[in-house]
Amino acid sequence: MDLFPSTSRILRYLRGMNAENVKEWKIELTYRADFIRGMLEPLIFVFPFVLFAMSLMGGRTSSVLEGLTGVSDGITYTIIGYIFMGFLNTAVWGMGFALRKEQWYGTLESIFVAPVPRWVYVLGMALHSTVHQGIILFFQILVVYVLFGVILNVQGVLPVLVFIALMLISLVGLGLMVSGLALIFKEGWIVSEVLYSLITIVTPIAYPLAVLPPLLQKISLTMPTTYAITGIRHFLIDENMGVGLLDSYSRLIIIGVCWIITGLLIFQIVDRKVRREGTLAEY
Amino acid sequence: MSSELFLVKEEIKKNIKILLCYPVEIMFWAIFPILWVIPFIFQGEALVGGSTSSQFKELAGTEQFIPFVLIGAIISTYLFSSLYGMGGSIRMESYWGTLEYILGSPARKISVLMGKALSESISSTFFVATQVLICVFGFGLKLTVAKVLPILLVLLLLVAGLYGMAIALAGVTLQIKESRSLVHTIEYLFYLFSPIRYPVGINPVIATVSLVIPLTYALIAIRGIWLLNQPMSTLWGYVGLLALLDVIFIGVGYTIFYYMEKRVRKSGSVSQY
Repeated sequence: MDLFPSTSRILRYLRGMNAENVKEWKIELTYRADFIRGMLEPLIFVFPFVLFAMSLMGGRTSSVLEGLTGVSDGITYTIIGYIFMGFLNTAVWGMGFALRKEQWYGTLESIFVAPVPRWVYVLGMALHSTVHQGIILFFQILVVYVLFGVILNVQGVLPVLVFIALMLISLVGLGLMVSGLALIFKEGWIVSEVLYSLITIVTPIAYPLAVLPPLLQKISLTMPTTYAITGIRHFLIDENMGVGLLDSYSRLIIIGVCWIITGLLIFQIVDRKVRREGTLAEY
Repeated sequence: MSSELFLVKEEIKKNIKILLCYPVEIMFWAIFPILWVIPFIFQGEALVGGSTSSQFKELAGTEQFIPFVLIGAIISTYLFSSLYGMGGSIRMESYWGTLEYILGSPARKISVLMGKALSESISSTFFVATQVLICVFGFGLKLTVAKVLPILLVLLLLVAGLYGMAIALAGVTLQIKESRSLVHTIEYLFYLFSPIRYPVGINPVIATVSLVIPLTYALIAIRGIWLLNQPMSTLWGYVGLLALLDVIFIGVGYTIFYYMEKRVRKSGSVSQY
């Protein structure tokens, strides 16, 4: 077997990914009420953190936060963190449940016998989830601008997009891993929920790294979301970055490569295991 | 009467047996509602540089925000239980293929629902007890024995109200089948409009809507007893309002269930997926 696939094979894979993406959009748009709820939900999810911050600060600024991050506006700081963290949802829920959903629809076995690697379907779901999350992101930015007067530095958009792209590479790896694990555990929502909860705790979403205990700080430095969220806030609202810019980019690339390899490996192992044991169709 | 009690007992046994088949799920619900609070604690430290805030005291009556959010998290376990456990229980029967048998049996549906509600209460109380232990030993939350009984009284009233709502949700599930989205929306609205994470006085609209949610009165009363050392005599007003909401929620909940059950039986859509 060749180390690198041929161009025609890559094109076939891309067609497979796009077909999965289009199929998912069709299903999603069939349930319009659910689609609208899905757009509003991430916004409502942010509110408790914002209102909690307001009740603590008695307004929207904090001198303590300014001392730690260089940003005094606690509301904007929190909102930016949570809005961009939405991409984690893409990985653990969107991609992670790609094959589980096919199982619900009763189409998993058909997919597994198709002449395309299984991870192509997961990446197709990733494509759909990323576009979906991107739309939600723009919608959220519009709403928080109107509701909270959150103003962002537009000049920082390009480097922010680079940070998002690098973060997404790692998250695709995570999604592949969750997707594989969901095939073993069946009720994979616990795997997704546990990973999501733990990553959100160690990622400096609504607080800087400095407030975390030393052990959690060390764990946090292995998370792509840490560098991405801090970098995004640096360019949009001038947060001080603990790590240099080049260092952040390079660490994100290294973490991305590691997570992708780990995700693919876990996915391949689980894929082989469930097919050998004949447990694929088990519910 | 004895046959009704038998039915309730068997329903409880069945649900507990099913729950025990998923030990990871038990661990998850016993621990994670507390873990979800941790970001709030770190956020608070980053914003006020400690664990107290004078601005917070003006709204919540206590400057200590950590016990405030921990108590909110513990009590909200009953919300999860009523929405996902009880509200989704009818959907689960439909997945298992047993819904038609239950609805077709000569048993009174209220007994089945009571059994489901009680089994959910038992499992939630186990989760809550574990969470209290984590909070006492892990976060230094203090709870004296004298406060346990009044808190239990308020919890009992809260559970009654929430399960009243869950009975309505179970009825709606019979009709719309896939109620997960609806459950999610209700969960988010409860989080937004009741003082689980923050004092509702922060926004007048939130404060107004929170008045019709039983969780609001329960949390005010429980925090009053547990955190602010207020005597029960000053909290009877909240307890009375909670009891009133219970009557409304249970009455409306059962009426909706009864109506929906009749409707799906007439339309023949019980077995539809």
